[in-house]
Amino acid sequence: MVSGGGLELVGISKRFGAVKALNDVSLSFKPGEVHAVLGENGAGKSTLVNVMAGLTAPDSGHVIADGRELPAGDPVASRRAGLGVVHQHFTLVPSLSAAENIALFRMRTAPGRFDVAALAAPALERAKTLGWTLEPDAKAESLPVGAKQRIEILKSICDDEPFLLFDEPTAPLSPDEVEDLLRILRRLADEGRVVVLVAHKLKEVLAVADRVSVLRRGEVQAAGLAARDITADQLATLMVGELPHAKPLGARATSHGGLVAQELTVPGDSGAPAVRRVSFSARRGEIIGIGGVDGNGQVELAEAIAGIRPFRGDLTFDGGPVRDVAYIPADRHADGLALEMDVADNLLLGRLRSWPRRREVEPWARELIEKFEVKTSGPAQAAVELSGGNQQKLIVARTLDREPDLVVAVNPTRGLDVKATAFVCDQLRAARDRGAAVVLISADLDELFEVADQVSFMSAGALSPAQSAASLVGGTP
Amino acid sequence: MRSRAATFGLTAAGLLAILILTLLVFGMPVGASLRLIVEGAFGDKYGVARTIVRIAPLLLTGLGVTVAWRAGMYNIGGEGQYVIGGVCGAWVAKLIAGSPSAVATPLLVAACIAGGAAYGALAGWLKARRGVNIVISTILLNFIALQILSWAVSGPLRQRGSTLPWSDELPRAVMFYRPDHASDLHAGVALALVAALAVYLLLFRTRWGFLVRLVGINPRAAQVNLIDPNRVQVAAMALSGALCGLAAAVQYVGISGQLSVEFSQNWGFLGIPVALLGGLHPGGLLLSSAYFGTLRAGTANLARFSQGGDTLVFVIQAVAVLGLAGIRGYTSLRRPVAEAV
Repeated sequence: MVSGGGLELVGISKRFGAVKALNDVSLSFKPGEVHAVLGENGAGKSTLVNVMAGLTAPDSGHVIADGRELPAGDPVASRRAGLGVVHQHFTLVPSLSAAENIALFRMRTAPGRFDVAALAAPALERAKTLGWTLEPDAKAESLPVGAKQRIEILKSICDDEPFLLFDEPTAPLSPDEVEDLLRILRRLADEGRVVVLVAHKLKEVLAVADRVSVLRRGEVQAAGLAARDITADQLATLMVGELPHAKPLGARATSHGGLVAQELTVPGDSGAPAVRRVSFSARRGEIIGIGGVDGNGQVELAEAIAGIRPFRGDLTFDGGPVRDVAYIPADRHADGLALEMDVADNLLLGRLRSWPRRREVEPWARELIEKFEVKTSGPAQAAVELSGGNQQKLIVARTLDREPDLVVAVNPTRGLDVKATAFVCDQLRAARDRGAAVVLISADLDELFEVADQVSFMSAGALSPAQSAASLVGGTP
Repeated sequence: MRSRAATFGLTAAGLLAILILTLLVFGMPVGASLRLIVEGAFGDKYGVARTIVRIAPLLLTGLGVTVAWRAGMYNIGGEGQYVIGGVCGAWVAKLIAGSPSAVATPLLVAACIAGGAAYGALAGWLKARRGVNIVISTILLNFIALQILSWAVSGPLRQRGSTLPWSDELPRAVMFYRPDHASDLHAGVALALVAALAVYLLLFRTRWGFLVRLVGINPRAAQVNLIDPNRVQVAAMALSGALCGLAAAVQYVGISGQLSVEFSQNWGFLGIPVALLGGLHPGGLLLSSAYFGTLRAGTANLARFSQGGDTLVFVIQAVAVLGLAGIRGYTSLRRPVAEAV
């Protein structure tokens, strides 16, 4: 048995600029229990994990482990206090072996000289007791995802850490691996540990958790509910909040024309299909929302529609080929902007097929800046100097100003403040009201329900049938 | 944001300091050396002519480097493109020997340009098609080009009846017009100025130039807007090679009139510091090529102090570029990281 008492969060608040990521969050986790912390994207889960791991110092409040307050923003102190974190994104060095990765992790905290075999030994011992076969000399990069995660878990438990924190651990796993992982979580808790599971998938949470807390917009909606007393529907409502009045199904849609996708299969970057035989339609005058956790094929689907990625299957617009898609990419820095170029140049990216005469550029850029409320010193300012919201407005301005018939937007409001978010959503609605077909891909459920006429969800490359927002109130994914 | 004038002043002061330091390190009397450099470069009309004909090829190869680097193609192969341009020119000269100069001169120039362009495009194509690193491929293609030159002048292009590895001499009439036969100054240097203006307009006033700059900064943003960055980059490499080929034409049809293994005077390599110091902007290149051209003309005079007198310019160029890189690195370290969102 591991003994370490409880873990407590007391009044933790953290803001990033105008955004309150966490607002007076107090939670208490007991040993021997799996305690799930639920929340949608942007609910503050990642910030919470980072605060607990000592990676982010909160503005106020503190973390108490077994009665002792942890120094804020000190990851090594958190580890010494017995807090193990399994991060959502693996922290393994690909070219090092499993044993070397474990040794690397422990060299700061374990006593004695650096000796890979000695440092890795307790972890390998633990692997045996858990019934895992682990090749200590296999390079991390050659291991499958599930095995990599096992190394991460071993790193966090090999010193008998009493507090374990799992950040979205099931996201990269296959269903079989998920089952295996949930069993391990149960077992680790039964050995007397505090196990905190940060997640957003209701089914998995209810399968393993003893207690559930819910975060929404940085605030605690429910703290320490007994999992057996609560249903998935109730949790969904807690996570998403009161749903806005849903619009009647396809009320605005005109009966003819629009985007039709049939049996679309799109390869991912590795070549394996990221989107599998997906069919859907987005009529003119309609916003189709596609939800789901990032990385389930949404970006690949969007890129196929935008003409950037090859695909198999049929894709038509108004019965003909798809051309001139107004595409708002997910990653505005990597895909959307040339940051070192100026505002006018970044707007010109939308005019590649109708290149303006030189003397038209400046007045045109000024007009767009005004119309789309971009806060900038002028067309000659470098895009990198703009705030994230204004950078996004640049992309929205250049894609929507030419009044396209088909709009594909991926997470268009991510990282934006409330005002900018509302602005972008209004622009999408305006495009729809003009008669465009709009495909809105977003991991933000609130946004989908608020903006989209119909919503479907993507998971592992497959798309659920479209439903009106109203029919989804009781059954979020 | 520093003003352009301040940047220019600082750079000029830095370059002078580097020059003086280098002279000191070489153990040369600073005052006398500087006077000799200035005299050598501007002392009489021959000096001025010497300076101008050294500025022209530097400006052209610098422009070539600029176009490629702006597109994110770190072309180190200006030397090879220059050499292949010269070989193509000499080859065409042999084919059309005896043609009237009104036909021959433009054809020779076109051949040099085409040769350089093809050689540049080859490296670009290897990158686009096979992902070959452009720095590696262009460096290696330089060696191949020099071997081709050496083979050509000792084999197929060798002057009939000569035992030395030289190509035929161009007839005076085919070469660029010279106002004074006692100096090297020739009409071809005007081509460099025309090219600088053309490259400026192309890069900053046209859609294609926009695409070149875009692809150099963020190829994904081009791709997302349905522009194939590879095509832009191959075209930029072709233009880059074409400008180096034009530099070869200016030297071949303007100065040497024949090819030997000595045809390459490092003009292709020297285009890189010229382009970097000129801020990859044709306007800046006018100044940087003037500075290095002046040094190259003036330092020949220093031979009377030191054996290595006219290699001084290479040392100064190297130090200037390293200094510049150091300053850039320092300022980019101090620049606040862009707000993370």
